[in-house]
Amino acid sequence: MAQLNTQRVDEVRSRGAGAVFNQIAREIVGLRSQAWGNRWGYVFIAPAVILYLVFQAWPILRGLFMAFSDYRWLVKATHGLVGFNGLANWVEMFTDPTFWKSFTISLRFSLMFLPITLILSLFAAVMISKVRNSVAAGAFRVIAYMPVILPISISMLLWVKLYDPQLGYLNTLLQNLGVQNVPNWLGSPGSALYAMVLPTVWARFGSWVLLFLIGIYSINREIYEAALVDGANGWQQFWSVTLPLLKPIFALVLVTGSGILSATEESMVLFQGTTGGPAEAALTTGVYAYRVAFIHGDMRMGYAATMSLFLGLVNMLITFAIFKTLRTERA
Amino acid sequence: MVARITSDVSSAFRRILRPGSVLVYVSLFAICIICLVPVVWTVSSSLKTREELYTATPTLIPKQPTLLNYTWMLTREDMSRLPLNMWNSLKVTMGAVIIQCIAATLAGYAFARLEFRGRDLIFYLLIILMFIPRAGGLMALYEEMDFLHLRNSHLGLALLFPSAISVALFVMRQNFLGIPREIEEAAIVDGASTPQLFWHVDLPFVTGGIAVVAIWEYIYVWGEYLTTLTMIDFPELETVSLAVTKLQGWSAHFTSTLLAGYGTESAAYVVAMAPVVLVFILLQRWFVRGLTEGIVKM
Repeated sequence: MAQLNTQRVDEVRSRGAGAVFNQIAREIVGLRSQAWGNRWGYVFIAPAVILYLVFQAWPILRGLFMAFSDYRWLVKATHGLVGFNGLANWVEMFTDPTFWKSFTISLRFSLMFLPITLILSLFAAVMISKVRNSVAAGAFRVIAYMPVILPISISMLLWVKLYDPQLGYLNTLLQNLGVQNVPNWLGSPGSALYAMVLPTVWARFGSWVLLFLIGIYSINREIYEAALVDGANGWQQFWSVTLPLLKPIFALVLVTGSGILSATEESMVLFQGTTGGPAEAALTTGVYAYRVAFIHGDMRMGYAATMSLFLGLVNMLITFAIFKTLRTERA
Repeated sequence: MVARITSDVSSAFRRILRPGSVLVYVSLFAICIICLVPVVWTVSSSLKTREELYTATPTLIPKQPTLLNYTWMLTREDMSRLPLNMWNSLKVTMGAVIIQCIAATLAGYAFARLEFRGRDLIFYLLIILMFIPRAGGLMALYEEMDFLHLRNSHLGLALLFPSAISVALFVMRQNFLGIPREIEEAAIVDGASTPQLFWHVDLPFVTGGIAVVAIWEYIYVWGEYLTTLTMIDFPELETVSLAVTKLQGWSAHFTSTLLAGYGTESAAYVVAMAPVVLVFILLQRWFVRGLTEGIVKM
């Protein structure tokens, strides 16, 4: 009976948010008929549940409220529940030119980051899967994944060093290739956003390589052999066997990747703080919200929460769309 | 013998030079170079003197490697707080790892093995939050941590980071589910209590799972940036991942004519990332296990 229950938990979870909500309602209804059972259970889950309630659940709920209030950290009168101002933050946000500018930057950044990372990581994964020598394949996996485990700040700072207009390796290479006027990658408004894409791809594509690899390794070898018998060449194999069978991984990768819309740290480390780079060319919405909440003026946390919630809602829509189009079961 | 070796070598070469293989290896080496160059360049810069950094044709391999950048960064306590920052990182990271391992192991056991009223309901409530957008999470955390007097506190960070417990919980629950029930039965017949069962019978089977959880948490907390930046106001409390972001342009003013800021900063970056890189290389098989057990399960 217990075994059956735990299996159902996994099954419901994999069907997504709707199923979980449904199941919660059903569990509440059936709660009174359940036996108390082994009360040690409550002792065992207590540390995890307390940590979760205090540092995860409460901030999320409180943050949702903040998004509808004029909460300013430095103005005590707006603290607590007094600041509630309905949709005023939202009206302000939709008429705030800086917000729209930052949102466009976030969108452009995501639309550059996602396809590059997707193609690069899929390509790397397919190539690594072709390596028969297990030691070599292991080495390639480790090297591709290494940037992922570096602290995000270090990853960005390594690129600051590479981009350095005078001493950086990138411009040294360009000069050796005969380029006369080497660009100031991070320093000029025209290139700042593009210069931010590259380190972000570098720091993140490795985790997708591993996810794709897990997917590819789990594809049954016999399917490829059948395709080979049918006379499929490498490209056809990839197109008609590998890609369709990787659909669940694509969904997973895209869902985690869509979080890039709220990218904040990349810009803050590359451009040292919440300046958003030269002429605010790399001011993502995440950075703008951070600046509003923690750097500027009264520390308007309410308005910043509104912007974060907006990003979160857009993200939810994207996730929903991904699952609808890829029609996969895994959430 | 010699003939066999040469024929082995030549057949190996022929295999590598097959059209498919060439493409595979060339593209993989290109990807590796892209992955490694930023790290190699920084390590190399950290070994260079001012003179060699400012040379007209810098090389990827330093001609006259020197450790002076490191000794400067690690010993000039009047200018660099690097050793202190490393110590802060170690405290926060170890605290978070221990707390998360304990909480996730206990809860994982309860959700996998014990039956009590509302167990599944609580489990669903724990995972439903993953589907709710975290709007003002950071702002609300700032307020809460201030209220609890946990801002500017390493204890605060060590409690805050392990609270993101979902993945660790799944990993541990999965590990406990993998233990055959029969193993517990003999002990139950002997009248063992639940804590005894947990400690003496089940725990020895999940040490691998605990290692996975510990390593992932270690990597995450060591590299955490945004939350730490928000919670820590004083330079002497900063963790190393945060402190290195403030070195730029600053150390250049203080270094001797022998060294340059570019070199000393590179040395600081290498020191800051060494602990995670070493752990990753030494324990990499646990990472893949963690990925397959935790992340994909999500």
